[in-house]
Amino acid sequence: MNGRKILAYVVTVVACALYLLPMYTMVNVSLKSPEDLIWGPVIPTRRLYLDSYLQAWEEISEPFFNSIEMTIPATVISTFLGSISGLGFYRAKFKWKELLLFLIVLGFYVPPQAVLIPLVRFLANIGLYGTIPGLVLTHVAYGMPITTLLFRNYYESIPKEILDSAEVDGASLMTLYRSILFPLSLPGFAVVSIFQFTNIWNEFLFALVLSRGKGSQLVTVAIANLKGTTLAAWNVQMAGALIGAVPVVIFYIFATKMVIKGLMAGAIKG
Amino acid sequence: MTKYVNLQTFLFILPAIVLVGTFVYAFSIWNVFISLTDWRGLVTRIRFVGLENYLKLVSDPVAQKALINTFLLALTFIPLTMLIGLVVAILLDLELKGTSIFRTIFLLPLSFSFVVSATMWTWMFSPEQGTINSLLRLLHLNFLCQPWITSTEQSLWCILLVYVWQFSGYVTIIYYSGIRSIPKEHIEAAEIDGASTFDKYRYVVIPQLKGETVGVLTILLFYALRVFDLVYLLTGGGPALSSEVLATYMYRITFNQNLFAYGASIGTLIFVIALAIMVPFLILSRRR
Repeated sequence: MNGRKILAYVVTVVACALYLLPMYTMVNVSLKSPEDLIWGPVIPTRRLYLDSYLQAWEEISEPFFNSIEMTIPATVISTFLGSISGLGFYRAKFKWKELLLFLIVLGFYVPPQAVLIPLVRFLANIGLYGTIPGLVLTHVAYGMPITTLLFRNYYESIPKEILDSAEVDGASLMTLYRSILFPLSLPGFAVVSIFQFTNIWNEFLFALVLSRGKGSQLVTVAIANLKGTTLAAWNVQMAGALIGAVPVVIFYIFATKMVIKGLMAGAIKG
Repeated sequence: MTKYVNLQTFLFILPAIVLVGTFVYAFSIWNVFISLTDWRGLVTRIRFVGLENYLKLVSDPVAQKALINTFLLALTFIPLTMLIGLVVAILLDLELKGTSIFRTIFLLPLSFSFVVSATMWTWMFSPEQGTINSLLRLLHLNFLCQPWITSTEQSLWCILLVYVWQFSGYVTIIYYSGIRSIPKEHIEAAEIDGASTFDKYRYVVIPQLKGETVGVLTILLFYALRVFDLVYLLTGGGPALSSEVLATYMYRITFNQNLFAYGASIGTLIFVIALAIMVPFLILSRRR
C-alpha cells in the first residue's frame, strides 16, 4: 500500500466519523438515563437505559400508526397511477405529447408554498382537511409527476420488440399492461414504491399543515413536537426521532441497491 | 383501430392530467387570485385589492432579508454539496477496502427526514451541552467553541452545514456510479501516458461526468428552491430573522399571523423564482 492510498484511507475514515457524529449523538443520548445525561452527549452511556424509548413510544405511537396508515395507501396508489400514466405517455402518439409530459414533470419542481393556501381551502371544502385520506390524496397528486416520469423512463428501457410483437397480436393497452408490462416492471415497481415510501414517510410540511389534532397527526410532526416541548428530556426526543427514522433506515440499509436505483432514476433522467 | 388506441391512451394519462392540472396548475392560479385580495384572519368580507400585496412585498425588509438568505443558501449549498460529494466519490473510486460500507455511511444521512436530522443537529449545535462544543472542550480546544445556531452571524451557515451533510452522500452515489461506468480503456490509456492520479481525474474522469452533473444539479435545485424544513425546525428563521428564508416567512405570515392574502403573494414569488430557474434549466438539460 503506497502513501497516497494510506492518506485516502485516513481522509475517508475521518470523513465517515464526521458523518456519523450526529447519528452517534442521537443513539448515545437516546440510551442515557437522566442522571447520565449530565455527562453530555459525547461520553458513551454507562448502561443501556431503555425507558426513554418507552416514554417516546407513548408519545408517538399513535402518530406512528397514522403515518403507516397514510404512507402505505399513498405509496401504493401513486405507484400504480404512475405506472398507468407512464405507459400512456410511453405509448401516446399525439402532437403535444412532449409538451404535456414536460408540464407534468414541471409540477415536480413547483414548491409547495405556491399551492399551500389553495390546498388547505380545497381539502376543507371537500371535507378532507385534517384527515388521513386528505393527506393520501395530496401525496398521490404531488407524486404524479415523478412516478409518471420514472415509469415512462422504465418502459423505454424495455426492448421494443417485446411490445411490438404483442401489439401486432392486437392486444389492447390494458392487456399489454396486465400481461406483459406489469410482470416485466416488477423491479421498477419496487424501486418507485421505495422511492415514494421514503419521501412520503419523511415529508414534513404537508404533515404539519394538513393534519389536525391527534387523529391525523403524523410521526414527523409528533417528533417535531417532542423537540419543541421542554417537557420531553433530550433522551426521549432522541429516542422518538430514532423510532420515527427506523422504517426508512431499514430500506436504506437492507435494500441499498433499490434505494440507489430510485435516487439515480430520479436524477439522471429528471 | 388507431382511434380506439388513442382513446385508451388518453384514459391512461387522464389521472396525471387531472391531478397535476388541479393540484399544481389550478391551485397556483388560485393562489395568485388570493394574493390579489385582502383576505386575512376571520374577516368574512374579502375585497379585491389589485397589486397591493405585491407593492407591500417589494418594500418589506423581512421579505428582502428572506429573499437574500434563500439565494445565499442555494448558492452555497449547491456548489459545496457537489464538491464534497465529488471528492468523496473519487476517494471511494481509489479502490479502498470496505467501499460498500463507506458508501452506506455516506448515504445514511439522506435516509433521515428533516425532522430527525434537525433533532440530531439541535443537540450537535447546542452551545452549552451540544456535541460539537462538548467535544471541543474534551479536546481542550475551548477557544474554538461557537454559539452556532444561537448566533445571528452563524445560524444560516449552521443550516447550510446540515444540508450539505444530508445531501453530499447523494451526490457521491451518483458520481461514483458515473465514474465506475467510464470505459476502463480511457482511464488505462491515461495511466499509460503517465498521467498522475490528479490529472487522470481532472482531464479524463471529470469531463465524462456531464450527465451526472446535470442530474445532481437538478435534484439539488429541487431541494434548494423549497428550503423550509431545516430552517423551520432548527432556528425557526431566527435568531432575530438572521436565518429567515422565503418559505419560512410565507409559513409564518400565513399560518401564525393569518394574513392569507399576503402569504399567497409570497407563495407566488416563490413560484415565479422556481419556474424562472427550472424551466430554462430543464429545457437546456434536455437538449443536451
